Order: sequence, then C-alpha cells, then structure tokens
Amino acid sequence: MKEIRINGRKEFGGQITGEALVSPGPLEGFTNCSPAGGFVTERNHPLYGIPYKGKILVYTYARGSGGFTAYGQGANIAGAFVHHKSNALSATCASLARVPSVSDTEIDPTTVIETGDTVFVNGDEGYIVVYKKD
Amino acid sequence: MYLTDEEKRMLQGEEGVVRQKCMEQLVDLAEIAGAERLVDLDGTGDFTHVAGGRGKFGFPLEALRDLAESGAKFKIPTCSNKVPIPQVPFHGWEKCGIPQHEDPAYNEKLRGEEYMSLYRKMGVFTSHSCANYLTSTFWPTVGQHCSWTESSAVPYCNAVLGGRVNLDGSFASCFLGKAPYYGMHITENRRATVLIKAGRPIQSELEWDVYGFAIGELAELAVPAVTGTVSASTSKLVKFNAALNTGGSVPMYHIPGVTPEAPTVEFALSGKQPRKTFVLGETELRQAYEKINYLPADEVDFVFLGCPHYNIVDLWRVSQLLEGKKVKVRMWIMTSPWLYDLAKSQGFLKIFEDAGATLLTGTCPAAMGMPEGIRTVAMDSAKQSYYITGRFSTPEKPLHVCYGSKEDCVQAALTGKWRGDWR
Repeated sequence: MKEIRINGRKEFGGQITGEALVSPGPLEGFTNCSPAGGFVTERNHPLYGIPYKGKILVYTYARGSGGFTAYGQGANIAGAFVHHKSNALSATCASLARVPSVSDTEIDPTTVIETGDTVFVNGDEGYIVVYKKD
Repeated sequence: MYLTDEEKRMLQGEEGVVRQKCMEQLVDLAEIAGAERLVDLDGTGDFTHVAGGRGKFGFPLEALRDLAESGAKFKIPTCSNKVPIPQVPFHGWEKCGIPQHEDPAYNEKLRGEEYMSLYRKMGVFTSHSCANYLTSTFWPTVGQHCSWTESSAVPYCNAVLGGRVNLDGSFASCFLGKAPYYGMHITENRRATVLIKAGRPIQSELEWDVYGFAIGELAELAVPAVTGTVSASTSKLVKFNAALNTGGSVPMYHIPGVTPEAPTVEFALSGKQPRKTFVLGETELRQAYEKINYLPADEVDFVFLGCPHYNIVDLWRVSQLLEGKKVKVRMWIMTSPWLYDLAKSQGFLKIFEDAGATLLTGTCPAAMGMPEGIRTVAMDSAKQSYYITGRFSTPEKPLHVCYGSKEDCVQAALTGKWRGDWR
C-alpha cells in the first residue's frame, strides 16, 4: 500500500475515509446533476449516471451555473469533496452540503487519485491522504 | 475572521433572528471561501428566492413577515432573480403546451407571492429574470461592490460594468448589504492572467456565443484578456457571458478597448506575460460549435429563443423575422416579465401571436420543462443547449439540440427543418 499526502485548503471541516469517485474534468450543476438520484446527468460526462452517495467526489473545478449547489443537496450527497481549484460555486456548495471539503490542492488530485482508491479527507486541517494499492 | 462590532452584534442575535441567521450564513461562506472579512456593499444586489432561506440558515416565514412589518429595508437596490424550480412563467403560461403549467392554481402557487409581497415591502424589485441587469434601469458603476447570483450575469457586472461581484447573491448578502471579501472584490484578482486570440474575426452573435463557450473551457477559472472580437453589442456580450460560464467558470474578463478596466492588452495583463496564451482557430471553434450542436436532426419539433432572457432589441429582431408568417412547429420566445408590456405596446406580441409563436417570461425550458413528446429542439444559446439535455436527454432516449443563429432558428420554426450550421 502506497500513501500519498496532498495538501490543500480547508473548505469545510470534518474527516472521513472513503472510496474515491474521480471526474477527470470539471463538474457542472443545475440540470447536469441529479440531487434526487445522486449522479451526474451531464451529456458525455465520464461519471454520467454513476452514484456518488457517500463517495469521495474528486474533480478539477466547478463550472457553469450557480445551480452547482445541486451537488450539496439531497439524501444522496457525496461523503466529501476534493477539488483542485475553489470558486464561488464550490464555496456555496460546501456551505449547503456540510460534508468535509478540501480545495486548492497543491497538485491536481485527479492526476493522482483513481476511482476506487481509498482516500482520507481531513477537512479540518485541509489535506488528504490517498492509499494506492501496490 | 475579522468582524466589526456591528457584525458581531448581529451574529450574537442582538438585532433579531433574521439578521442573526443572515450573518451566520455570510460568516460561514466567508470562512469556506477563505475571506478574512466582509465588505460593505455600495452597488446592487440580485438573489434567487429560496422559501424559508438556505438550509441551517433558514428562518420561518413569520419571522420575515415581522421583519417587513417592522419597516426593515434591504441595504442595497436588489432584484429578486427567480422562483424555485419548477420555475413557472409569469406570462404566456396559459398556452405553453404543458398542462401542469397551464393550470392557474399551479402557476399562482409556485410564484411564491407570500414571500415576494414581503420582499417588495422591504424594497426588493421582484423582476424574476436571469438578466435583471438588462431591465433594472439601474446599474452599478465602476468599482462598486455588489452581490449577484446567476452565472451569466456575474461577468456582466465585473467585465462589462466594472462592478465588483462574486456569484454569491443571497437574501442574506443583499438584505445586510455585506458579502465575503475575496475573489472579484479584490483589485489584484481582476487582472488577466491568460491571453485569448482568435484565428478569425468573432463577429456574429453565434460566433460570440461559441467563442465564449470555447474560452470558458480553456480559461477554466482564470481571468482572460480576450482579443479577436468585432462589433460588440449588448446581445453579443450577454451571450458571450452565458457561454463563458457554461464552458467554464469565468467571473471576469477584459476585452481591451471595449470593457472599462483595460484599454490595452498590456494593461489587462498588468504588464506581465500571460501564464498561457490560447489561439482559437477555425478548427477549435468548429469543435466547440459541434459540442453545443448536440446530435442535430433534420426535422425540428420545437424552437426556443431567449436564453438568457431576450432584451427588447432581440424581441424586435425576431418580430421582423416572423412578421406576416406562420410557424409550423411550436415556438417559444422568452423574455423578462418587465418587458412583456413593452413588447405588447411595441406590437411585437401581436406579431408573435399572429405567427403562432408564444411569448413567455421569467423562466426557461431547462427550469420549467418542455411540452410532452419533444425530441428535437432548435435554439440559439450554448447555455440552454448544455442544460436542456441534463434534464431531458438520456443515452437511451437522446434529446437532439440543433444549435444556430436566431435566423436559423426562426427558419426552423417556419419550415420544421433544420438548416443551421457553423459558417
């Protein structure tokens, strides 16, 4: 097992260890997220239809509508958020979601983390640890 | 984070439960965003109505009523953006073709009037548009701090008007006249760090829309200095902004010589070299167009115009294209509620109705839905194209989106055929 620590900035506190679900690019909210279903509905998106409930949702940045808050709503919410760059969309989403969130990571986490990896998210101190299988 | 004595008093509940909840929300957002203080707003506000407020920062309707009756007013001139989804139309709902929306009781119930009447008492302009900045008749000036919602509107404030805003408009920020001080409120963050060049002149509305989407995907969150555009107009800038924040998340840009904060490219970049330079040639622009033009088909069964909500000149142009003609397929034209009476007095409404088209206000298909059975829609908006499929398209049953110019879309409405393309 290989451990990789990635430092970032606390967006929202809390700690959780879970399974990563990685979007290789940005996520887009409003109609391109189904909070009721708990999955991405954006056309041609690699995560289309894949449930994110309880997962460590890893992505590059939030784009598009102020309706990005869709990712922060509903019973099927992600367990934590990890993203490379923060903006007003990710901040508003974190305020609503109230699950651990780490942003402004020193490297793009989507280049290190693969879907299925185990990730510890420390929202309180603003870092994550990725556990890669040998 | 630093709070003034007044802010601390509000946070401790000394000025009532609503102000306390509002201050809690702003402090929470500021800490998440990494802001060290709040800024007093001196510009304008724009917020999306959420019944009862946002999550743990909510408060009961009764508390809002007490506040309104006490004479409390919003600190800054504020528009209320929209009602919650499913966002009902304010005009045209009687003949929109969706049985649920044609029910007067449904329409009345979802307008949220119990809240809107209190907002108005407190000074809010309940204008219900994604493009309030086009109809408000009052704008922030260069350097004024604002709090707006709506991704397409934010660059209009920052880039076109020179106001200072993040996408954070809420009841809390507009009522208290305060917002987290970060992002576009800070001068250094407004300078361009990437340079965009076009391999062809960007002139038509369609070209501005496609260029905006493509730049958004490349710039991501950066502030770009944009070159290559020709003959900017209100309609083109509105489309550009909406597309920028569909392809990416760009709160601010400079078009040297056009937007107010940068007369030259060098000034936009503060005399520094850009971190990246992107050249969008014919190939890249066509690729962007083809992303937006999603599974186009020859036969069209619905045409939608008006994302973001059309301004009065857009309505005039479409009226000229439709005058004396009849549409073959259902056609919606969307604008702001405040423009409906103007469109009527100018004679545009009669032209639309005589042609068989419907003028609606205050919403859009992605927010309110579409008539049953539609599989191919024509539209002139990169933004609406990208969101309509999120709601109505699945891999098993795709929605075909034919994307082109206003003129292409009107032709599709008149003939039922799609002939639009990137030219």
